[in-house]
Amino acid sequence: MKISLRVLSVLMILSIVLVACGAKATQTTSGSNEKVDLTFWYWAESDAPGADAWMTESVEAYKTVNPNVTINIVPQSTDTLISAFQSAVTAKSGPDIASQWATGPVLGFVWQDAVAPISDYVKADEMKNWLNTNENTYNGKVWAAPMYLIGIEIMYNKDMFATAGVTPPANGRWTWDEFMAACEKIKTAGFTPFVVGDKDGYGGAWWFSHLGMQGLDSTDDLRQAIIGKADFTDPHYTGWYSALDDMVKKGYINEDVMSLDLSQGAQAFSQGKGAMAWGTDGMIKQALTDLGADKVGLMRTPSYGTGKMAETGNATQSISFFITKWSAHPQQAADFLAFLHTPDRLSSWYKHTGVIAADSRFDRSVVTDPVLKQMMEWETTGPQVWLENFLPGQIDSDGDLTAGQMIFSQSGTPADAAALWQRAAETWRNQHPDELTNWTNWQQ
Amino acid sequence: MLYKKMSTRTGITFRKIEPFLYLAPATILIVLIFLYPIIDIIRTSLLQNNPNGIKTIGITNYRLVFQDPVFWQALGNNGKLLLSVPILTVLSLMVAILLFEHVRGWVVYRGIIFMPYVLAIPVVGMTFVYLLGLNGIINTLLRGAGLAFLAQDWLGSIKWVLPSLSVVIIYREMGFGVVLFLARLMSLEKEILEAAEIDGANFWQKHIYVTLPQLSGVIEFFIVVELITMLSWVFAYVFTMTGGGPGFASTVMEFYIWKHAFAFRSPGIASALAVVLLMVTTVLIILQLRLRRRFLDESV
Repeated sequence: MKISLRVLSVLMILSIVLVACGAKATQTTSGSNEKVDLTFWYWAESDAPGADAWMTESVEAYKTVNPNVTINIVPQSTDTLISAFQSAVTAKSGPDIASQWATGPVLGFVWQDAVAPISDYVKADEMKNWLNTNENTYNGKVWAAPMYLIGIEIMYNKDMFATAGVTPPANGRWTWDEFMAACEKIKTAGFTPFVVGDKDGYGGAWWFSHLGMQGLDSTDDLRQAIIGKADFTDPHYTGWYSALDDMVKKGYINEDVMSLDLSQGAQAFSQGKGAMAWGTDGMIKQALTDLGADKVGLMRTPSYGTGKMAETGNATQSISFFITKWSAHPQQAADFLAFLHTPDRLSSWYKHTGVIAADSRFDRSVVTDPVLKQMMEWETTGPQVWLENFLPGQIDSDGDLTAGQMIFSQSGTPADAAALWQRAAETWRNQHPDELTNWTNWQQ
Repeated sequence: MLYKKMSTRTGITFRKIEPFLYLAPATILIVLIFLYPIIDIIRTSLLQNNPNGIKTIGITNYRLVFQDPVFWQALGNNGKLLLSVPILTVLSLMVAILLFEHVRGWVVYRGIIFMPYVLAIPVVGMTFVYLLGLNGIINTLLRGAGLAFLAQDWLGSIKWVLPSLSVVIIYREMGFGVVLFLARLMSLEKEILEAAEIDGANFWQKHIYVTLPQLSGVIEFFIVVELITMLSWVFAYVFTMTGGGPGFASTVMEFYIWKHAFAFRSPGIASALAVVLLMVTTVLIILQLRLRRRFLDESV
């Protein structure tokens, strides 16, 4: 009888342990019966038209495999992407998964203790396939997941080039003098050489991320000016505004640059209103559709600077998805983000958007258009940096964006633009001692 | 006897506190809705995010705000917008008087003029973005009429952006002014106006010397309301039409507060800016309350 009781006790203890283990497993796998509601503040459509439809399809597909998990997608607006999430951080309540632009914006929220490191929830075997994770790596952890890669290069109208007698660069890249000479020819032929929109300030910011980067040796070089160990008025940082100013003064930029926002600038190219324009993968795809596949060519930004970053590419994951610190279901959120990287989802992503996925498992053979194929090669070859992501938001807004508007609207000189950067940096340093400390300690 | 005395005393005490009990719910509501946020904003304006956490830093945020050139530019832009208040008032008065004279179809005109005031500001803003672009409808019409020299980048040049914003604000706010003035005009005693006409007063004399003096209370009220609007109710116009640009040419205080609060992650600075704006606006609100009292007395 005593033995029976002992056996019974051991069996009961074993049962409890097994049930406990089972419960643990239930909590950490999405395939469990636990009902889980996840809210995802999602942004991608502006970068990659078709992204919203893809996400709707992905949520449905996930629901089929994990009927207990409900993903509520809340599309976010570009204008309020940062401010809306900042409100959530202040309230310490909001979505389980959120979207932010990579690097500076993501890390800004990491430093506010609002983000859970995704590398704590996704296996290293899975994450090794994700591209550009370095953009959101800090203190040895990856804080956000990439979904796609976009680069920004110059698309050109082949017919306008031919009419103006301009030959595209043989190696895909002009020197600055060759570029300016081509602009002059195009203008003489009666076309607008370069169309861009800067009503929202981002047109100027894109010039910074291209020409500004070419003068720098590293992102840390930029950081020195941000934290006050170098001066933005040094031509090393802002001397390139003279080149942009020269373009505007010579009439190489569309007159309505300040009436158009960035996307409208790209649309103007697609409508045949200019010979050249910046284009992301999505914009290039749209131009190929609007103007004709044989009418659009692609080239890299002309060589301007002599810094060590002059040859660095500019591809970025753009938006990053991350798990919020307050999420009650971080593991399930991570599982869903990992699901978005399954081969079926990666393939579907490209079908919907025409933008390449940020994953080494992405089947590159599906990219058949020669222009988009060229773009993919540039985006995945060599080091890639989108410099604007390495600015604190306030300096980007009150320095970068505003200085570009100053030049495009001709309301100030390149020296004034440089002074604006310096003033924005000084104001930020005075007003944000906490952020200054984080940027000072950030080893890039 | 003792019972009667006690109940009388209780009755007197209750009568004394009775009004306060009636007032209590509303008072508590007002304190919660208005006073608490104001106190909290003032408290936040004394805080700063430091590397070691949130610290009380006294009036440092105010010093930083006053050192920031963008603050002064934003305040200056609000000041420039105030210049549109006299134009708005005169236009509203003129239109209201014309409608009061019962021009043919005045009821339709009244509806048309009031309609923009009913529309949401972002709707009005986005419409004018398309109208005022360099290649927008207005410039296209000007070019078509051979007046290309008048075509401007209305929202894209630092010279024209504030006047353009003013025009849009006037366009929308005029509906409110016209209806307000018209309502007051309708309540005027017709005999006085008829007497002026019998005495030989022409259109202008009648309205300048007879109508306007009787509208003085409502005009003053409207002016103060619009002064407050130009100081602290123009965010939606700026946000939808210009984003504060080009540069800082159309940045106003509200927009700058919003940027600091939500885009720049600096609630302390945003709160300090809000307190400064609150102080300026409070002066105008006190003025408005005094004028409103006078207007109401006049109406009675």
